[in-house]
Amino acid sequence: MTSRLALLSAAIAATLPLRAAAAVNVVTTVPGLASLAKSVGGDRIRVESLSRGIQDPHFVDANPILAVKLRNADLLVDVGLDLEIGWLPPLVNQSRNAEIQPNGSRRLTAASAVAVLDVPTGPVDRSLGDLHPGGNPHFLTDPRRAGQVAAAIAAKLTQLDPGGQGYYAQQLAEFQKRLAADEARWQGVLAAVKGRKVFERHRTLVYFFDWSGIVDGGELEPRPGVPPPPAHLAELVERARREGVKAILVENYFDSRSADVVAQHSGAKVVLIPGDVGGEPGARDYESYMDIVVSRIAGALR
Amino acid sequence: MKARFIAGALAALAAAAAAAQQVAPPAAGSAPGTAAAAQPSPNAAAPAGSSPPARPLTPSDEAERRKLEEQIAKELGAPAPGSAAQPPAAGPGTGAALAPQAAPGQGTTGGNPYARLLLLPDISAIGDFALAYDGYDVPQSSPRPDLYGRPNTPTPLFQELELALQSVVDPYARADVFISFHPDGVDVEEAYLTTLSLPAGLQVRAGKFFSPFGRLEQQHPHVWDFVDAPLAATRVVAGDVLSGPGVDVAWLAPLPWFAELHLAGQDTAPATPLDPGASAAGDRLTGIARLVQFFPAGEATTVGVGLSAAVRGEGAGGLRDLGGVDLYARIRPPETRAYLALQGELYGRRFTGMPGGSAWGTYAQAFWRQSPYWGYGVRYDRAPAAGDSAPGTEQRASAVASWFLSEFQRVRLQATWDRRPGGKDALEALLHLEFGIGAHGAHPF
Repeated sequence: MTSRLALLSAAIAATLPLRAAAAVNVVTTVPGLASLAKSVGGDRIRVESLSRGIQDPHFVDANPILAVKLRNADLLVDVGLDLEIGWLPPLVNQSRNAEIQPNGSRRLTAASAVAVLDVPTGPVDRSLGDLHPGGNPHFLTDPRRAGQVAAAIAAKLTQLDPGGQGYYAQQLAEFQKRLAADEARWQGVLAAVKGRKVFERHRTLVYFFDWSGIVDGGELEPRPGVPPPPAHLAELVERARREGVKAILVENYFDSRSADVVAQHSGAKVVLIPGDVGGEPGARDYESYMDIVVSRIAGALR
Repeated sequence: MKARFIAGALAALAAAAAAAQQVAPPAAGSAPGTAAAAQPSPNAAAPAGSSPPARPLTPSDEAERRKLEEQIAKELGAPAPGSAAQPPAAGPGTGAALAPQAAPGQGTTGGNPYARLLLLPDISAIGDFALAYDGYDVPQSSPRPDLYGRPNTPTPLFQELELALQSVVDPYARADVFISFHPDGVDVEEAYLTTLSLPAGLQVRAGKFFSPFGRLEQQHPHVWDFVDAPLAATRVVAGDVLSGPGVDVAWLAPLPWFAELHLAGQDTAPATPLDPGASAAGDRLTGIARLVQFFPAGEATTVGVGLSAAVRGEGAGGLRDLGGVDLYARIRPPETRAYLALQGELYGRRFTGMPGGSAWGTYAQAFWRQSPYWGYGVRYDRAPAAGDSAPGTEQRASAVASWFLSEFQRVRLQATWDRRPGGKDALEALLHLEFGIGAHGAHPF
């Protein structure tokens, strides 16, 4: 009897190291966050994004199959600022994973690591369109903020997996060094076109403008989520001519028809860019994604 | 008896929660101090904050920690850890709920004046109105719960105003309350607690809720693609939606796809005059079982299959046996917002130990969301004829066009051709307006 108990204990103990050695299972809402997590987590984590770079992150389906991925998540990293409000909350509720609930110990909301732009200061209602009352959630197009998010992920991973402290610190340092070199290179590419004005489809590039010095000429959408009426497009055509707007930036998950119309009448170029990592075949990770965004915008404005 | 069983389940939950609280009180007091931890430090290599790691990954640490937990549990007289619902441990980073800009040393004088507002639950109201035209006398010839006008007269209708209050209750559960204002009065449509932290893939709902039977029956009308419910739901399953106070235990099976098993006990709504066959008396205790699964089928398609069964007491030893199969397929290439949703359900009913016999009904529908702004659907449904119709089957064919002005407003036009036994045909048309204001929780798939 005693020996059998001992055998049982040994068997249980034998399973423990397996679990201990297993990689930290990180789930992110968007692929940009997954790429940043992979950069700092390396081999110690397994990472998966719930959405794909070809998808509009506002309109992912709350597919229960995604709740299954969340069930075993050791860490959920979301963007926050209500970007995922239409689909993440029901999935988190279905997941049975208590610690990935908002404010849970295994939840990291990336927005908490960055200074947020477009925070409404006056009263807000939906006559303003489908805006994000907490501020603009599209902050990963700014490499400085991406670096801050990477640091927050490293800190969270260290907290959840203290054995990897040195590893995460080293990975983060290496990533930030690479990112600093990238940033210098990107700024070099953008130097010639700084101060030029562009239109965007939705307010997705506010942080990119903040970092790059490219000037935001306005959006095709008169208000967030509201389709542009012809009168608004006609006004944009006039402004484009008057103010010398050379490019209209559109994430490739948007319909580009309104941009095409404005381009046709104003002489500006429509520049299709990936919306996130994986948004097109070359955007394999955060750095190659930003390479594409920077070179394509700079190319169009030159 | 049923009240006792619900109370028992609630007490068990409360006990589990209380035990968990003793083991690890939620560290609300430590939250202000951890706000800074949410800020990335330039040297992130240093462990953030000073709280212990939530789940150490080295075996020796883990064994030690477990020993300590057991010892503490013994000292507190609480059940061993792992045997009760554990509150999510509050660790560094939980300060995310606080203003993220609040850096250490620069707090706001006098605190946050919006504190009360921050604690409000999500509040929303959804209004539904219609203009109905019916080419026949619906209550006489095709009785159903709602959305019809006076015969041959365009009739404006107020269908419903749903008020929703939704929030987490504490670290262990959330609550969802839906109050329905309609032409006949006010109902608490649903009001239930959902656990968030039970172990072993379990989730319990307790309160008043729509029975976990079928797909459409569990959804609020504003979620439907069509303006009205197919006849089969009310002619076969229950006169109104199957709902009432009770407990629903749902287990998410540890499988690579989504497979959830529900077992529920409820006191379901009393029979309405429309209810098929049954008297309003009876104990109405209802036991429900449902298995719902979702599978990915390629990159763009998700397939859902549900099987439901229910037994409802009808008094004097009589029973209503219900069965249902529901199928759902959603085809949406990830790069677009357009999708095609195919949905169909088959319901069967049998009365045992009482008159009424058996019946079945079904519907099948397709809805194509062409763009963010437009969607179109077709539906076929059939169910036993009722009212002054000759015995037999009533069949309907419907088409709907939806215009989504925004995420918060839609206008739908639905036309239905209704064929009752004996070749009696009639046209129905509904122009429907719906709006939503406030923060309404996203709906499950």
